[in-house]
Amino acid sequence: MPALIEARDLTKKYGAHVALDRANFSVEPGRIVGLIGPNGAGKTTALRAILGLTAYQGQLQVLGREPLRERTALMHDACFIADVAVLPSWLRVDHAIDFVAGVHPRFRRDRAAALLAKTQVTGRRRMRELSKGMKTQVHLALTMAIDAKLLVLDEPTLGLDILARSAFYDALVNDYMDETRTILITTHQVEEVENLLTDVLFIDKGRIVLDASLDEIAGRFAAVAVAADQLDAARAEKPFYERRMLGKVVLYFEQPDLAKLAGFGEVHTPSVADLFVAKLSGGAA
Amino acid sequence: MNTASWLVRREFWENRAIWLIPAVFGALLILASLFGGYQVLGAGDLATVRTVVQAGALDGMVLIGLAFFTVMLIYSTWYLLDCLYTDRKDRSILFWKSMPISDTATVLSKLGIALVVIPLVYFVLADVSTLVMAFVISVRARSYIGSTLWSGESWLQIQGLWLYAIVTAAIWYLPVSGWLLIVSAWAKRAVILWSILPPLAVVVAERVFLGTHHLWGMVESRMAGYLGHAMRYTPGAENWITTAVGHDEIVTPVSLWRFLNPAGFFSSADTWIGAAVGAALIACAIQLRMRRAEI
Repeated sequence: MPALIEARDLTKKYGAHVALDRANFSVEPGRIVGLIGPNGAGKTTALRAILGLTAYQGQLQVLGREPLRERTALMHDACFIADVAVLPSWLRVDHAIDFVAGVHPRFRRDRAAALLAKTQVTGRRRMRELSKGMKTQVHLALTMAIDAKLLVLDEPTLGLDILARSAFYDALVNDYMDETRTILITTHQVEEVENLLTDVLFIDKGRIVLDASLDEIAGRFAAVAVAADQLDAARAEKPFYERRMLGKVVLYFEQPDLAKLAGFGEVHTPSVADLFVAKLSGGAA
Repeated sequence: MNTASWLVRREFWENRAIWLIPAVFGALLILASLFGGYQVLGAGDLATVRTVVQAGALDGMVLIGLAFFTVMLIYSTWYLLDCLYTDRKDRSILFWKSMPISDTATVLSKLGIALVVIPLVYFVLADVSTLVMAFVISVRARSYIGSTLWSGESWLQIQGLWLYAIVTAAIWYLPVSGWLLIVSAWAKRAVILWSILPPLAVVVAERVFLGTHHLWGMVESRMAGYLGHAMRYTPGAENWITTAVGHDEIVTPVSLWRFLNPAGFFSSADTWIGAAVGAALIACAIQLRMRRAEI
């Protein structure tokens, strides 16, 4: 099966600033991929390019199409929420549903209605009258009612309280995701999405620094909390990052010799959040 | 086609001013006709009053039409400047662009609203207001004017004038519309300033550095040349009816048709050069819309 998204030397410059610097990555169908990076790393730019919202250099194919030139065709099979705050303030909820039903051949009105029926939102309200959480629910209902192959979410929970966030991700995983779909999600709050991802793409300064599935991470990275007296011996195994914690030092290894590491302490697979910190602050080189 | 109808509906949801402004304007005119006092120039005997009203009715309808048309031109200009800008400013462009609607369709729908839909709304509401006013005045002053206001021929002429003006103004001002769309699709702020200052700067630069004013001539002849191209002034006595009322005279055209100059307008090179420039500018606006997301 060909990759759903295939980027080769994807580059985007804003004047002298390089937002994407020959980034290479691919996304396979049926995955939930987190595009993770610090602020200003190029996440949003990458998504804008994928969605045909901006011009770019390099090669990029999404669902076999060139996003900028073929955005209209692409939007039949892909949908996105770039920010939940973007539904226009003057739009009425029922009009929003009518409109999407009118222009989108893959929109299923009954599903949108069913999703909205679970919320407090009523049809004749305008977006400006809704709370941010309610607006999110409307946007999510509109988007999840589209039978799309690719769903792209850019910081979808920015500015939402913790209840709305958790409702958002629950709906995403339980009501939406199945094997025919692929989700690409960006966030700088890694902990929040860690449990639902199947793959991660770490991006830093416009470059992809890690492209791996969570299964691969388990085999490829290890962390050990080492007591001070064993530190020098452990360091000989070439950790790529170390971090002081409660009198011990946690060392992070790539492609480690697990048998040797076991002698220094309890070996565990680092969490995505920890790995992210380790990769980006440590020796990404 | 279906998408087009949704794009039009969406504009009505967003811009209620499209019909609110002419509706309020029409309502004010009707209120004036309901509660205003009437005074007929040099009023004397009944026959004179009827002559004056009959002679002035067409002039009155043209003036009302002109007032609606002027408000419409101002609103359409503002609409074109705003239409590709607000959704970038409030970032709702990110929602609209998630729909399978091409940027060409989006830009052309906005252009169609400005050049066809808004003028038709004004046309219909001007018609309705004029009819209601004529009815109100006829009822209030029935003993004086009878049915003199109900002239089928005048009515038909006004309809013709409206439709002719809508079509020819849309074609003649296409370069202006194209330029406004470019500014609307491109500017990060201050669309009004951006619509005026760059052309002004170019004109001034030409004046200062080259000492010529060809560009100014082009801008001026486009902005001011509409009436000269689309209409024709006919001073000949055979085209006017002069009605003497006491010491005054009321001059009315024999027929509005004689002022229209379709043959001249549609065969003028200026018309089609302008239309071609307009089309090129609109194509630029579409490209800008494609490449610019939120501000």
